[in-house]
Amino acid sequence: MSIQIKLSTTLRDCVPGYVPETGLLFEPEDGPSVLTAGELARRIGLPLEEIKIVMVNCRQSDLNSPVNNGDTVAYFPAVGGG
Amino acid sequence: MAAFPTHEMLLPELWPFLELRGTVHTVSTEGIRHLARKFSLPEREVMAELLLQNIWPVRFSRSMGCVTAEQLARLLRCRVLIAGCGGLGGHVAEMLARMGAGSLILCDPDAFDESNLNRQHFCTEKTLGLPKAEVCRNALLDIASYMDIEARTVMLDENNLPELLARADVVIDCLDSVARKKMLEDAAWKASVPCVHGSVSRSEGLAVFDTTHPRPFSQLYPNETEEDAVPMNTGVLTVVGTACLMVALLMRQLRGRRGNGQLLHFDLSIPELERLSLTGPEPEGNA
Repeated sequence: MSIQIKLSTTLRDCVPGYVPETGLLFEPEDGPSVLTAGELARRIGLPLEEIKIVMVNCRQSDLNSPVNNGDTVAYFPAVGGG
Repeated sequence: MAAFPTHEMLLPELWPFLELRGTVHTVSTEGIRHLARKFSLPEREVMAELLLQNIWPVRFSRSMGCVTAEQLARLLRCRVLIAGCGGLGGHVAEMLARMGAGSLILCDPDAFDESNLNRQHFCTEKTLGLPKAEVCRNALLDIASYMDIEARTVMLDENNLPELLARADVVIDCLDSVARKKMLEDAAWKASVPCVHGSVSRSEGLAVFDTTHPRPFSQLYPNETEEDAVPMNTGVLTVVGTACLMVALLMRQLRGRRGNGQLLHFDLSIPELERLSLTGPEPEGNA
């Protein structure tokens, strides 16, 4: 089991080689422990201050939301152009 | 003013201008102008009356199957405030003109700049330096001269929005920063005017229109302020795709469908369209 991570727009610049089609797969090294979305973001090197929206399994969440094995987590910066 | 005639009386009156397509009568612009003069009505009102009797203006005849006559009549009688005439706003305005919107208020304080050429519908080498709202109005009247279009070269704010919203049936948010979008949705909510939301960055767009979640940007970005605003790069595919979703959501509302708290997220780099659920805390005051 692993956690699927999807990054939006400018957050992709923080992870060199990020491929939009596949996203990232995160394998928790310490077993099936529950992480928060913020802790997961920190572990993959995302600047927390740039994360404005968190979606866990397509539902609006936040950096304190728990993330379990098998979840999909999407991080968005501000998307406000017109 | 004489009462608008019934279907049986209309057919002989319109006979020189009618064509039968399948089982439906269509009428040319000349026929619509004839009735507008005879009954002292705006052409858009004549078209709405005809549609309610299932007589379609030729200009909309190829929209049959995409929209119903009732939906189109409602759009012709609707006044839409378009906030921002840049990337999203220019394309939204053009789509609405072709789809049958009767009245628009276009607001944008800016003039076209070279950096707009990559994505903004009415930005051409000939319109550089000209006010976006005015250029947009003139171009739309070339498509649909019957439209009632007001162009305002103003920066929307808390002071001028109440007057504009009081005359609008719906507002489309094509502004270019999260803080300004929050300001607009707040004003629209206070004025009880439904607001269609959209935003873009790079190859991704977001669109939402749900009257049960009237202030989605405040829900998504509770702490974002004007100081956080940064210019966001994007291209023509992203703005056209997002503008399509926004207009489709508006048309869905005209069919009487309610939203369900879903935020459409569109990513052209893959490409894919996904539905996300807004579940964050409602902004203060939301019902």
